[in-house]
Amino acid sequence: MGSSMKDIKLRIKSVESTMQITKAMELVASSKLRRAKEQAERTRPYFNALHQTLADIAYSNTDFSSPYVAAREVKKTCYIVIAGDRGLAGGYNANVFKTAAAHMEGKNVCVLPIGKKSVEHAARRGWEVVSDAYAEAADVSLGDCAAAARMLCGKFRAGEFDELYVVYTNFVSMLSQQPAVMKILPLYYERAEGKNKAEALLLYEPSSEAVYNAIVPEYVAGLLYGALAESVASELGARRTAMDAASKNAGEMIDTLSLQYNRARQGAITQEITEIVGGANA
Amino acid sequence: MATFDLQIVTPDGEFFDGPAERVICRAIDGDVCILPRHVPYVTALGIGEVRVTIDGKVRRAACSGGLLSVAKLNEVRLVASTFEWAEDIDHERAERARAGAEEAVRHAKDAAELELAKARLSRALVRLKVSQS
Repeated sequence: MGSSMKDIKLRIKSVESTMQITKAMELVASSKLRRAKEQAERTRPYFNALHQTLADIAYSNTDFSSPYVAAREVKKTCYIVIAGDRGLAGGYNANVFKTAAAHMEGKNVCVLPIGKKSVEHAARRGWEVVSDAYAEAADVSLGDCAAAARMLCGKFRAGEFDELYVVYTNFVSMLSQQPAVMKILPLYYERAEGKNKAEALLLYEPSSEAVYNAIVPEYVAGLLYGALAESVASELGARRTAMDAASKNAGEMIDTLSLQYNRARQGAITQEITEIVGGANA
Repeated sequence: MATFDLQIVTPDGEFFDGPAERVICRAIDGDVCILPRHVPYVTALGIGEVRVTIDGKVRRAACSGGLLSVAKLNEVRLVASTFEWAEDIDHERAERARAGAEEAVRHAKDAAELELAKARLSRALVRLKVSQS
């Protein structure tokens, strides 16, 4: 009996220290999450305005001379996969990779991983990697996004790939994060039926091509930055939820173990009394 | 006076959303001025000063990169990479940024680096100019 009581005591200690870690991680994730959420919400109007404007432009576009709008045969597809830097965030990383893998099926792909887990995953799956310079998702600044966008646009123009997608996680709410795939290049939007052609006329200055060449890299950088802000907030949200669940589980485990421990202790005392009484009677 | 709906957004948030009478900004090939009832129009923005007339008063700002679009129905969107109202610019910080950028121009090792450093310098100069007057 004595040894099992000691075992239980040790287990309680170990679960307690695990719980301390999960609690701390949850607190850290919560405080970071608030900042990340504000950041994601701040970038959202920009993200929407940019997307809306480009959609308007592409919609009314009749000039397909720019490589960014021209439809071409798809030989190779590039994916930007945004995942986290660390694990212990529930299904956050796994969901991103699952979504990416489902979308990539049957395509000739290359990948620009963002985040340490994403870089590791790409290496493990043997995907062709464009650049692994962005291994820290939390540290990527707008300047880095602009540099990445310039590089990607250059490669796109050079014909190294014919389509560009970004796989990221939408921050729906504190409790719900949705992985998503968004097409970035080439710009192409479905034309709604019955729209007046004349209404769609648009003046470009100095020329549509010059405007596209100046705007598109910024557009890609903006989308990338927005997707990144959403993903970082999602990662922290997922981690907070996962750590909350882990702390709760640890609490339950400690309760059960304490009950067992007390029972064992009670049993030992009862046995001792029985022994003493038995000894006195003899 | 006639107005149009102006929306100014950057990755750091929304700076203005409301009626304006006039906006002057630096496009890639020179300054443009947008008045109400402009035709649908798109241009890319360069690095320069922006003047927005709201209620007869002119507000100045430093702005770089991005695009300006006029959609039908008088909707003007200024989607910039960076945007700062004159009163928000920290003069000392702008001065330091200029010194840093000048240093970077002098020590640039290749053409791409020089290009970036020059862009940094012109951004710093615009901010200084806007914050001074």
